[in-house]
Amino acid sequence: MTDLFVDEYPEQARLVRAAFLTSFVALGIGALFGVIQALHRTGVFRIVESTTYYTVLTGHGVFLVITFTIFFLVGLYQWAVTDSLQRGPVDARLTWSWYGLMSVGTLIAAIAILAGFLDDPPDVLGSELSADVLFTFYAPLQANPIFYAGLVLFVVGTWLAGADWFRTWWAWKRDHPGERIPLPTFMVLTTMIMWYISSIGVAVAILAFILPWSLGLIDSLNPTLTRTLFWYFGHPVVYFWLLPAYLLWYIVLPKLSGGRLFSDPLARVVFILFVLLSTPVGIHHQYLDPGISEGFKFIAMTNTMFLLLPSLLTAFTVVASMEHGARQRGGTGTLNWLRALPWKDPAFTGMALAGLVFAFGGFTGIVNAGMNINYLVHNSLWVPGHIHTQVGTAVALTFMAGSYWLVPQLTGNRLVGRQIALFQVVLWFVGIVFMTNSMYRAGLIGVPRRSAEPQYAFDYEVGVGSMTELDVQLALGGVLLFVSTVLFLAIILLTAFNTDSDPLVDGTIPPALSGPEDSPRVLDDLRVWIGIALVLVVIAYAIPLASIVDRGGLFGPDVGPFPVVVDGVMYLQHGVAYVGVLIT
Amino acid sequence: MRISPAKLLIVIALCLVVLVEARTILAFFDVEVSVLEIALVGVVAITALVVWAVRPADEETSEP
Ligand code: HEM
Ligand SMILES: [Cu+2]
Repeated sequence: MTDLFVDEYPEQARLVRAAFLTSFVALGIGALFGVIQALHRTGVFRIVESTTYYTVLTGHGVFLVITFTIFFLVGLYQWAVTDSLQRGPVDARLTWSWYGLMSVGTLIAAIAILAGFLDDPPDVLGSELSADVLFTFYAPLQANPIFYAGLVLFVVGTWLAGADWFRTWWAWKRDHPGERIPLPTFMVLTTMIMWYISSIGVAVAILAFILPWSLGLIDSLNPTLTRTLFWYFGHPVVYFWLLPAYLLWYIVLPKLSGGRLFSDPLARVVFILFVLLSTPVGIHHQYLDPGISEGFKFIAMTNTMFLLLPSLLTAFTVVASMEHGARQRGGTGTLNWLRALPWKDPAFTGMALAGLVFAFGGFTGIVNAGMNINYLVHNSLWVPGHIHTQVGTAVALTFMAGSYWLVPQLTGNRLVGRQIALFQVVLWFVGIVFMTNSMYRAGLIGVPRRSAEPQYAFDYEVGVGSMTELDVQLALGGVLLFVSTVLFLAIILLTAFNTDSDPLVDGTIPPALSGPEDSPRVLDDLRVWIGIALVLVVIAYAIPLASIVDRGGLFGPDVGPFPVVVDGVMYLQHGVAYVGVLIT
Repeated sequence: MRISPAKLLIVIALCLVVLVEARTILAFFDVEVSVLEIALVGVVAITALVVWAVRPADEETSEP
């Protein structure tokens, strides 16, 4: 019989709760902005001016895919490291410092974004306080400097969090020489290695170029370069969202199914593959960017297709573990075992449905990744369709479901409204199917993303149904998702205050069917994988970056003052005059 | 009840998915179904499902 996490590690539980609280506040605001967008774009109901749409969309992107996901990640990883190594951090001050740094960074960035709602935003650091640059902040879109400063603080906070977990692991290693790294900690460490390698890109983009440029210290930059550095980080960041969900699928889902993880070595291989392959693929977001040669795009595409491997391995391992669990619970038959799974448990059902949506979304990802077919869907509403099946559901729904299992262990309180929780996860699933089906279909006929007025003035040739129908479906899906989010937040809030109760949850994680001893030790030699990952990064990026800088300059293409055509015309005149002189 | 309420809820959700996606797929084969038609099919299918689910599972009904 084990104690609850909160009884064993009260200080750690407090930190995880704080991280989840920040995460869920962001989820609430993000979801509100989401439903505003869904209703606005489709013309169903508008409460903001179309000119304010980008303030809303920036908030939606940043609060959901930076704040909600990453604060959940740090909370979950703090739990995973503590629980699997059975020890707290070496120095709790470091732990609270990274949490503080991440929070302050978030707050500063949030102020910059939300100031966009003011009629007359104040001037800060020499420019207007606003940050309507979306979560990708492509130059030449420019935000107030404090937006970038906030992001930097946030990222530095995550770096310190990683350092904290490495320290805990080193301390553990001294006490346990020769032992294999426990799987949850292995997942945390490999995720952080990937994050260190990749977030350097965005740090350089901001610190060397975008921040000085927004402060007026340099007056030009090379947009292709900053975009490329952004996407150097931008693809790995999607795995930064996904890997905590993988952790829950590998560690918690088999247990909830009533069984054990099928294979520990396979899980390790999957995480190593992500360390190796996450970064040298970023250019697949730039298939339509001029200034990068086709050959480099082709290499990025090839690497991307290899990334299917860890996802397929995961699908296999997780489903095999679920089947094992179902058979332990008395399930039989080729497919009948599905009925023996604990469907009434919202934590299980949420994760299982999230996995189902993830599989479907993965196929749409193959479409995005294919260089030629990408041209069909690029920058269309198809892409938010993909985003919402993947980070918006595979990740978000898994986090919500995981919270139903974790929050009682972090608070010592019983989960309130188990049946409503089940309804909530199913409602999310239905909502996402409505919304993304409409987004995918609209994208295929060319409806743009990132637009308050996607209709423009012409009629789309809708293949099936009508534009009105697609709009209504999107709006309906958005409303269902919003209601589902509100239910989730209400359940968690009530659970947090449900103090005079005992949780009905067992936090023990059974060992895997095939344990780490079945795998070669080199899997745990993190230095090897860091080395190979760096080599791959250099191969994929050195020449493209060199050629971008060569072509456009470090601080921007050397384009004369506008209008450029005047120069050309003048040269032509001189030339003509010269030729004229020669002839006469 | 023949299946638990939780399972009924999930089967209904899966039905909705099939209904939403069905029109797109059928259109690949030039079978055009209107929203109204698919909604009607949905109501009938889900009602049938619920009626089936809540009937008591006794021995007399000839269940295979
Ligand atoms: C209440 C639920 C949600 C609704 C109604 C919603 C709605 C929308 C809509 C309509 C768009 C497209 C806007 C446009 O391109 O003009 C969008 C974009 C986006 N959503 Fe959501 N969303 C929801 C939840 C989420 C969640 C949970 C996440 C991630 C964790 C997410 C991440 C994103 C991202 C990254 C974009 C793209 C932003 C951009 O283009 O800069 N959304 N959302
Ligand atoms: Cu990508």
